[in-house]
Amino acid sequence: MPVSENDIAIIGFAQTPCVRDADASEVQLLVPTVSEAIAHAGIDRREIGFTCAGSCDYLTGGPFAFVSNLEAAGAWPPISESHVEADGAFAMYEAWMRLLEGDIELALAFGSGKSSPSNPAEVWPQQLDPYYLAPLGVDPISLAGIQARALIDSGKATERDFAEVVARSRRNAKDNPNAQLAGDVDVDALLAEPYVRAPLRKHDVPPISDGAVAVIMARGQRAKDLCSRPVWIRGIDHRIEAHQPGVRDITTSASTTLAARKAGYDGGPIDVVELSSTFSSQEVVLRDALGLSADANINPSGGPLAGNPIMAVGLVRIVEAAARIMNGSADRALAHATGGQLLQQNLVCLLEGE
Amino acid sequence: MSDTAAAAKKEELVMEHLVSLTYKERLTPNLNRFVDQLLDGHLVGHKCPACGRVYLPPKGYCPMCVVATGESDEVEVSDHGIMTGFTIVTPVAYYGQQETQPFVHASVLLNGADTPLGGQDIIGIPHDQLRMGLRVRAVWKPKAERRIEGISNRGWGGLGSVIEAFEATGEPDAGPEEFKEHIF
Repeated sequence: MPVSENDIAIIGFAQTPCVRDADASEVQLLVPTVSEAIAHAGIDRREIGFTCAGSCDYLTGGPFAFVSNLEAAGAWPPISESHVEADGAFAMYEAWMRLLEGDIELALAFGSGKSSPSNPAEVWPQQLDPYYLAPLGVDPISLAGIQARALIDSGKATERDFAEVVARSRRNAKDNPNAQLAGDVDVDALLAEPYVRAPLRKHDVPPISDGAVAVIMARGQRAKDLCSRPVWIRGIDHRIEAHQPGVRDITTSASTTLAARKAGYDGGPIDVVELSSTFSSQEVVLRDALGLSADANINPSGGPLAGNPIMAVGLVRIVEAAARIMNGSADRALAHATGGQLLQQNLVCLLEGE
Repeated sequence: MSDTAAAAKKEELVMEHLVSLTYKERLTPNLNRFVDQLLDGHLVGHKCPACGRVYLPPKGYCPMCVVATGESDEVEVSDHGIMTGFTIVTPVAYYGQQETQPFVHASVLLNGADTPLGGQDIIGIPHDQLRMGLRVRAVWKPKAERRIEGISNRGWGGLGSVIEAFEATGEPDAGPEEFKEHIF
C-alpha cells in the first residue's frame, strides 16, 4: 500500500524495566526514557510538533506531578503539549489525532506511573462514583473477583484457565528484560495456592509496578525517511461503556469489540496480540471480544501480569507489539489498552509493517 | 410542605464521605544526600554539566537540557541570597491551617544557585518594608533541633525544619539584573 501523508507510524520507543519500588522520582524515570525514544527515532527533540502525556497524580500523591513530568520533554524551548489522566496509550491516541491535522510531522507520547508510594486499594475506589461504589471502598481486586466469578458461573472459563494464562505469561516474560515476574510455574501448583478474592489467587492479580514508556510517531514520507521499517498505525480507536459495572455484562467487552472494528481489525491473520489483561481472568473476556483463535500469540512480552506500571502499561503493550514489527519478527499486530474499572474503557490499535 | 420539612428533607440528601489516602516513600537518592548535607549545615545542589545551571535542591536532572545529574555534579551554594519575590498571606481558617496571623511566603535565590527556594519565611523586617532584591541570610536551627519534616520528593522547598527563616542582612539591595532571570 503506498504511503500517504495521512499515514502515521511509530518510529521510536523506549521503556523502563518494571520494578516494585523504583529508587527515583516519576520524572526521573521519564527523563532517560523520553531521551532514549527520541534517540531511537533519530530526531532532535526540538523537531517534535506535539507532546502528550498520560499519568495520574493520585499514584505518587504529588499534586501537579504531571506538570513536573513534562520536564522530561525539555523545559525549553516552549512546546505544544497536552495531558490525559489516563494510560499513555490514550495520550498516544491524542497525539495521533494531532498528527492527522497535517501541519506537523513528529509527535511524542509518554506514560508513567509510580504505584509504589500509595495503597492501590485506597486510591482506586476514588475513581468510582461517589454515591454507591466509592463509599463502599470497592477495590480493583474485589471487582475483578466478581468478574472472574461471573465468568466461571457463565461457563466461559475455569480457575484452571486463569492459572494457564498466568503460567504462559510468566514463561513468556523470561525473554523480556523489563518484566518484573518471570519464570516457569506449574499450573497445578498455582491452583493449590490460597485465594485472595475467590476465585482469584495472588498470581491472577498483577504486581504493583513503577515504570515509564515513550513513543515517537511520524507522518507520511517523514516516517519512511527516518525509519527503515516504520510501524504503521492502520487504525486506533477507543470506546467506553457504562460506569456502573452492575448495568453491563462484565463477562463480555462490547467496547473492545467495537473499538477493534473501528480500528479496522477484520479478523484476519495477526502475528502478535498484546492485551492489557490486568487480571488473568480478563484475558478470557478480551480474547472473546476480539474473536481471537485458540492459538493466537497473546502477550509474548508476558503482559500486565509480568509487570503493571499503571498509566504506562497500555502504551507498553503498543510498544511491545511495535517492537516485534520493527525488528521484522511480525507483520501485523493488535495492541489493547484499558481504563476505568473492569474494562470500562478500551482502546485497540492495529499495527502493520510493510 | 412546610419550610422546616423541606429543610429536613434536603439535609437527608447530604452524605459524609471523608477520604484518607496513605503514602509512604523514600527520598530519591539525590534528595537523600541533599538532606544529609543540609542537616550538617551545607546547601548542596547539582550543576548541569551541559548548561552550568545550579539546581537547589537537586532534581537529579536538568530540565532545560534533559540530562541526568548526579553526585559528580554536586556544588555547594551560599546560605546568603536575594529575596526575588514574596506574598503576604492572610490566613483564613480552612481545615489544617495552623497560622492565625499574616505571614510571608518568599522566594529566595541563594548566591551560587539558579533556582529560587519557594515558600520561605522572612524575619527581621516589617512586612510593609519587604521588597524584591532584599538581601537575606539563612537563620539555621541549632543542629540538635534540625528535622527533615516537610522535605519530600515533591520538591516544594520545605526547609523550615532546618532553616528557621531568612533574615534581612541590611546590605544594599540587589539590582534587578542580578535576579531577573530567576524569578518564580
